[in-house]
Amino acid sequence: MPLVPQLVWGEDASAAQVQQWVAGRNVAAIRALGRPVLPKLVHLYESASDDGFKARVAQTFYELGWESPEAKRALMKDVHTQNQDLRLQVQWALGRVSNDQDVVDTLIANMRSDSNPLFRDKAACALAYDQIHLSEQQKVRLFGALIEALRDEKLDVRRIALTALQIQTGQTKGFEPGASWADREQKIRVWQSWLAQYKAGL
Amino acid sequence: MAELARTIQGGFVGSLVVFGFIGGSAWAQAQGAAGALVRYSFDDDLVDTGPDTFSVSQFGRGSVRLSTVYRFSGYRSVEIRDVAGDRNFPELQGYFPIRTEGKLYLHFAMMTTDPGEELNIALAGPQWFRLRKDGIAFWLKTANGYLTAISDSMPKKLFCMRAFVWYVVDATYDIDAGTYDLTIRQEGLESPVADMRGQANAASQPGSRVDKFSFIGDHDTDASNVVYYVDDVLVGVDEAIVHQPFAAPGRRKLFVDYWNSARRARAAHPKPLPMMSLADLGIGSAETAALRQNGAGELLGQILSGRLPEVPDDLPDPSRSILQSVIAWREGARALTDGDAELALARFDRASQLSPSAALSQMDAVMALANLARWDEVDRRLAGIVPQWRDDPRLPATLAIIGLARGDLDAVEHQLRPSAESSGLLAEEYFLTLLWKGDAARAETFAHTMLARGPDSERGLWRERLGDAAFLSGSIERARDYYEASLAEHPRPNSVWLKLSDVYFKLGDLEKERAFRERVYGSLRER
Repeated sequence: MPLVPQLVWGEDASAAQVQQWVAGRNVAAIRALGRPVLPKLVHLYESASDDGFKARVAQTFYELGWESPEAKRALMKDVHTQNQDLRLQVQWALGRVSNDQDVVDTLIANMRSDSNPLFRDKAACALAYDQIHLSEQQKVRLFGALIEALRDEKLDVRRIALTALQIQTGQTKGFEPGASWADREQKIRVWQSWLAQYKAGL
Repeated sequence: MAELARTIQGGFVGSLVVFGFIGGSAWAQAQGAAGALVRYSFDDDLVDTGPDTFSVSQFGRGSVRLSTVYRFSGYRSVEIRDVAGDRNFPELQGYFPIRTEGKLYLHFAMMTTDPGEELNIALAGPQWFRLRKDGIAFWLKTANGYLTAISDSMPKKLFCMRAFVWYVVDATYDIDAGTYDLTIRQEGLESPVADMRGQANAASQPGSRVDKFSFIGDHDTDASNVVYYVDDVLVGVDEAIVHQPFAAPGRRKLFVDYWNSARRARAAHPKPLPMMSLADLGIGSAETAALRQNGAGELLGQILSGRLPEVPDDLPDPSRSILQSVIAWREGARALTDGDAELALARFDRASQLSPSAALSQMDAVMALANLARWDEVDRRLAGIVPQWRDDPRLPATLAIIGLARGDLDAVEHQLRPSAESSGLLAEEYFLTLLWKGDAARAETFAHTMLARGPDSERGLWRERLGDAAFLSGSIERARDYYEASLAEHPRPNSVWLKLSDVYFKLGDLEKERAFRERVYGSLRER
């Protein structure tokens, strides 16, 4: 399977060069073009038939870390793909191109409900590390969703939700994913009290 | 679950490279005073960067450099300048022996030029700048114009910051309890603008150890264009150390402070002047860019800290000449300190030859000549270089030291015979020497005589000197009157504006203080 798809670029040499840089992971060269390169990258992503190359483009979006509604729109189309590499790169890149609420909501849903444990885990990973454009109010919503996920009936979901919270805040508030329901509820109330205080201080 | 533990950047610091220079280099001093773990006033002599002191990261387009434009005390602070979109951040990071229990006292002064731009200040432990145990313990940041403390993993607004106003931060961190008390005072205000007790540390982690601090712009979004200043950083285990006059809230050292500290420190013989910025050595922005282009920034740091005696053979010009000049200046400074004025003079002259704009080498050469009692040459060289030193706080003390080295003051006074033919520089030197010796009354009488009998072109200058005498004797309002009167006849009023800025600071009129200061330095917003 060719890594660099044969796209039609006509006379646009710079676009072809961008394609080569994506394939060669030369993000520095792409970054040097500035934000005007984003539409070209989106076009590359949407035109590509090869998931491996799309994953490279998604990784480029991740590394650039530039907010882009167009990139978010393109990436969201693959946020449920079963191609492992592409799914992981898309989940990681989304938070670095957008702070839209539906990005967080989708990742929360993937973390809690995807049938593949790896995808659930990596969605939590994205929530823990990659939501770099969130406002404090948006963080409150994210934390609220993660705290709610501590009530999930699946042990691994409770565990990854707690880990995401711990990475974000440095705390567990004594929550044990494998503890009894009553103990878990007690600690969830501690988390909720903390969140209420967080919200009140904004 | 191990899958989730993807590697992340270590909070503020990804990979840390220690630069041996920071635009100014001669700064920072971890003091040996009992109870003080870290003490940087940025006014002291050279100290190596390294794992036991501090490091400076200035990747990207930002910078960390000494500044004489704004300072809370002394004559220098550190300017931290971040540039959005450069994928990096400048950082001033300091280290101290790890503290695992007890209390730690943190003190520093800060001033931002734009509270809307993000800055971050943190105290952390072996887990670096992450929210976790032994990670960040104490964390201040600006957000939407507010200074914010991160406590119990959440931001807590403290107050709306003002631009170009110094804030003095005092925190007492209880390592065992994982809590801190925080007091922040604003320049010119008596009551604290923030006063909090028993706050949970950043991640609410009792027993969280600490061994480093950091000052940066932003670390994540790369959207900050902050320019801010830090001064008087002090970390100690003894509260009394923190509250020494070192940097009492609201105080800053004025031009007379340099004079006074120089008076205390100087021996009878002229010594090399302290370096205040790389510009002293003829290293401006073009030279800095050349050094960076040749990858020689680290070499400069090594030379300044005395760890590199020779320039590598393969280093191209102009970096080669720049560094050779710095080596020659350092050798001269060492020789003069050791009492070998002949060698010192030769090395300073060599440094000047290699870097003609190195003002410090030229002045140090004069100091060497004064040591050798070659007074004709002292006078000739001084006359040539004093004009470019007019706004420098080191000049009055330097002239006084030279005057003192000259010896027989009575003979000098006789030689002067105040008249239109008097040498202005020698008279100024004589006047300053009287002040240096503590004879303010005689100095003032002499200044009045010069005012009455000297050339009209020097009347403004002598009114300024009368203001100096009044200021040094503590008569601030009289000093103000002399300075104000001098402006009408002063040929070059910059130095008077600066002193009026200091006078109005002493008198508590911060608006006038700023107005006069910005006449000289302009506003950072315009830079």
